[in-house]
Amino acid sequence: MGALAAMMRKDLRLELRSGRSTIALVALSLLIMVVLVFALGASATRRVDSAAGALWVALIFSGMLGATRALNSESENGCIRGLLLSPLDPAAIFVAKLGASFIFMAIAEAAAVLLAILFFNLDVGAGIARLAGVMLLGALGFAALATLLAAISERTRAGDLMLPLLAVPMFVPALIAGVKASSLTLSGAPPGAISQWIRILAAFDVLFVTAGYLLFEHVVGEDQD
Amino acid sequence: MNRTATNSLGAASLLLMLAALFMIFLYVPSEAEQGIVQRIFYFHAPLAWVAFMAFGLVAISGIFYLWLGDSIWDDLGYAAAESGMVFCTLMLVSGSMWAKPIWGAWWTWDSRLTTTFVLWLMYGGYLMLRAMADDTPQVARFGAVVGIVAALDVPIVIVSVRLWRTIHPAVLVMRNGGHGLEDPRMLATLGVSMLAFTALFAWLLLLRFSELRARTRLAGLAQRLAMAQAAANDMPPGAARGIAEGAS
Repeated sequence: MGALAAMMRKDLRLELRSGRSTIALVALSLLIMVVLVFALGASATRRVDSAAGALWVALIFSGMLGATRALNSESENGCIRGLLLSPLDPAAIFVAKLGASFIFMAIAEAAAVLLAILFFNLDVGAGIARLAGVMLLGALGFAALATLLAAISERTRAGDLMLPLLAVPMFVPALIAGVKASSLTLSGAPPGAISQWIRILAAFDVLFVTAGYLLFEHVVGEDQD
Repeated sequence: MNRTATNSLGAASLLLMLAALFMIFLYVPSEAEQGIVQRIFYFHAPLAWVAFMAFGLVAISGIFYLWLGDSIWDDLGYAAAESGMVFCTLMLVSGSMWAKPIWGAWWTWDSRLTTTFVLWLMYGGYLMLRAMADDTPQVARFGAVVGIVAALDVPIVIVSVRLWRTIHPAVLVMRNGGHGLEDPRMLATLGVSMLAFTALFAWLLLLRFSELRARTRLAGLAQRLAMAQAAANDMPPGAARGIAEGAS
């Protein structure tokens, strides 16, 4: 537990001192919102659905960038080898990297939600807390999925291009649930209406955090044979 | 892999396929509502069965590979993914050909179509990973992990897509409700077609599997040869491994 906290502290301190990932992720969210306002239009009729879609597009892109950043900082200069030689369990490395990606994503999401409210002229009111909960559930699931798959993709010839090819199809169930829950929340539906989508998001999170925890050691290790 | 076994499996799938074609086009009566188009079903359903079986096989071999570490499981999983992708693509194409006259559109975002399409995308990603990482020593473990994670994802995909599109076209309900195939000749045709496509899949899988096994063995032999040469020339083992990687 102490080692895990130390790893997360290291990643966060690195980020606080350089600010590279956070600035890049927030800027990316801003640009995605601008692109989608022009692409979908911010007209009054469909703005709630457009805004929900835009939020999840921003989540996917910032998630891929966040997970890639969190893992690339270790593969530069072969730091991952040092981590693997340390008495840390590889699963703890996964949790630490997942935590770092999740925090980067949560910051980007907060920016994306504010921008969506501004650009799409949304009237969220009390729904903001529920919307935040839905987005954070989605971010946790995507961070788990992307952390596991980014460890694979960064070692292929295609590099970071491989990550969306693997991660986006697998994220489809959470994407469907998340977009539905977000647009229902933004259009002022009662909390009961979104509970089935929340359950799908939660199941996705549990499944992929567990899968990543158990399988991560198989993707980061050096080959013995 | 035994050559006669492979060849006789190939011959069996050829004969079964001829029998299935005869039954589909000449023997089975046309379905009352949909007419002749419904005969696509006798291709479509077996293709779907084989595709799902193949992707299950990818996940199971992935688990066995991570557990036992024997390259035989990796070769089996890779062969199953490649053959399964062919059948999954044919299933989507045949389904689309059937949908056009019946539903009036080549593609609808119906729950089953969407689920299958997402599955196709996932295994497309798996095959691209294998192609992009073929010179990475960990590629077998990467393949196993992606195969397992994709299979774990399938139940959530099915549930979410079903909630997303709750309207099931009547054709699909009827087809699986057991009422669509009243005539015993229809069931017989479906059974023979299932057997034919399963045999075809098994044959293709075996062919690809033996090729991958041969490739794995060849790489091992090349490495041993390089080691032996290095030992003869008194080279350090690190240099020998470099030669082996160059040779394989």
